[in-house]
Amino acid sequence: MNMSYQIIPNVELKKGSNIMVYGPTFTGKSMFVRSIFRDFISRGYGGIYVLTKDSAETLMSWLGTGYDSRKVRIIDCVTKSMVGNVKDTDSVKYSTVMDLTGISAKISKFFEDFWRSGIKNIVVVFDSLSTLLMYMNLQTVFRFLHILTGRVKITESIAFYIVEDGMHDEKTIVTLKQLFSGVVEFKEDNGRKYVRFVSPFMQTEWREIVVDEEAVVVT
Amino acid sequence: MKVISGIPVLDEMIEEIPEGKVLTYWIDPEVEGNVFAMQTLFTNLERDCRCAYVTLTYSPEVVVSEFNEFGWDVENYKNFNIVDLHSAYVGLPSNCKYSADPTNVDEVNDVLMKVIENCDLVVVPVSSIIDVCGESSIECIGEWCDFIRDKSSRLVFTFVSWPYPEKIENFIKVNSNAIVRVGGVHHRVILGYYYGVVKVDWKNIKSKAILFKLVRPGGVRAYIPKILVTGPYNAGKSTFVHAVSMRSISVDRLGTTVALDHGHLEYRGFSIDLFGTPGQERFDPILKIIGKEALGVILVVDSTKPETFPRAKQMLESVAHFGLPYVVAANKQDLPGALPPEEVRKKMYLPEDVPIIPVSAVNGEGVYEVIDSLLGLLTGRLWVSEDEPESTA
Ligand SMILES: Nc1nc2c(ncn2[C@@H]2O[C@H](COP(=O)(O)OP(=O)(O)OP(=O)(O)O)[C@@H](O)[C@H]2O)c(=O)[nH]1
Ligand SMILES: [Mg+2]
Repeated sequence: MNMSYQIIPNVELKKGSNIMVYGPTFTGKSMFVRSIFRDFISRGYGGIYVLTKDSAETLMSWLGTGYDSRKVRIIDCVTKSMVGNVKDTDSVKYSTVMDLTGISAKISKFFEDFWRSGIKNIVVVFDSLSTLLMYMNLQTVFRFLHILTGRVKITESIAFYIVEDGMHDEKTIVTLKQLFSGVVEFKEDNGRKYVRFVSPFMQTEWREIVVDEEAVVVT
Repeated sequence: MKVISGIPVLDEMIEEIPEGKVLTYWIDPEVEGNVFAMQTLFTNLERDCRCAYVTLTYSPEVVVSEFNEFGWDVENYKNFNIVDLHSAYVGLPSNCKYSADPTNVDEVNDVLMKVIENCDLVVVPVSSIIDVCGESSIECIGEWCDFIRDKSSRLVFTFVSWPYPEKIENFIKVNSNAIVRVGGVHHRVILGYYYGVVKVDWKNIKSKAILFKLVRPGGVRAYIPKILVTGPYNAGKSTFVHAVSMRSISVDRLGTTVALDHGHLEYRGFSIDLFGTPGQERFDPILKIIGKEALGVILVVDSTKPETFPRAKQMLESVAHFGLPYVVAANKQDLPGALPPEEVRKKMYLPEDVPIIPVSAVNGEGVYEVIDSLLGLLTGRLWVSEDEPESTA
């Protein structure tokens, strides 16, 4: 297993990285992290996906059947608040966006499950933090992330957190950035979409991307 | 009316939650500790107490379904009240008898005091209130603590210990008459969960950690940690298990263990099950199964036989694979030619932070140091750390 992973050309992510995925809506951020997630799973990683906008069902039907379902764990923060009573399964647990304690405990349980079955390479996706920030104040979300990013570091996992551009003030973004080792930025210009990577140590050029239902391709 | 915690072992320790007292469940942010307060509430509901559950981050419907998940049919009890701070917060009308807008301090205060007057027990999610209403809400929480002192009710707080400023933590500590810590056994990931009393001002108690599992339905169940004793053939595993155990059995044939050694020990408040694995190669599959359930590993090596170290190392790798913490017992130190721990470390290429304890299992020397060392790895972070709420007992 490689020790690092290229998400866009020339950007190697180290284990223990917490990455913010930042950009305006409809630039392909969700599709981008989904396809990264799928790639990691196919490389033998265990994956934990936290959903605040789509249901677990949506994600699973996108993933299709061509993956090892033992390697995928989902926390669905949508379904419970819509239909009320839903039963957790081994791989899908339900929570609500305001229940940060529940989300945190469930992520941690999934980490334990993976480790106890010998899977120690883990990828976490959080889509998205912006939804949390609609219900909870910045300080509260920051404390929650402090614990989660810490767990990702100590287990040498990799995590991606989506944040919508245009929904939060400057202070929120600056505060959140303290928790992350780098940012994958998206932008749209004249109907074309671009991505780049920015960290305290490096910054890539903007690269054009093509987004469809299946994947995000960096050209 | 007597109110109890409804939590196994805890009730024997603290007996009851007396009138006018505040009991806080102090919960690790990665542990599902809310169940403790729910279990306390439901236990007393069944005993005909009037109980109230304040909710802020869950809707009243979700609260009921959370209780139901554990088999607690709160909705069938007329003494069950929900204090709904959620609906107003998300802009919905409330159909609960008690409700308030959490952003309106006076409104919340009025309702809470009314509830305290009318109930024997009130569960309050204090950290959620701090999260949603800001840090200044501790003043409000302080008022409830003062208010309850001469009332025939009790407050049960759930405080999730997110990285709050010290001021907040201290505030909760000072205002709680009892604190029950609900924590995780951390070793990179959380491998297990425990609870223990760290403060109680109405009883003198000996502090004790109890491991638990959550059962649905059922709730909090205390359980016994399994510790795996492994090592090469003839290293002294069976002897070790017998030396520390109060009761133990081995399934041996011609002096070698063919199935398992099993021993049980009560030690420093822990109730521990030890499992010795057979040392012969063909038993590796058993080791794998136990490895999945165990909480820690003791590797026994014969310090006079460095030729067995590669095998020992190999066994260690297969358990370390499951992320379990381990210590090494450098056994047979009474024999001439036994290598001292540092030599064992060198010959086995073990990192500096792996504890290696000199042991003579036949003489019972060093065996409890091994247990101590492993418990230290498992719980040290939480029980030894300085930021722990202090025990007044
Ligand atoms: N001198 C000395 N002998 C010991 C010590 N511990 C164990 N022995 C002896 O070593 C032999 C093997 O001990 P056991 O406890 O059966 O070893 P084991 O690891 O369970 O062996 P298997 O189950 O066959 O793998 C016995 O003859 C013990 O009496 C010790 O500390 N010092
Ligand atoms: Mg034996």
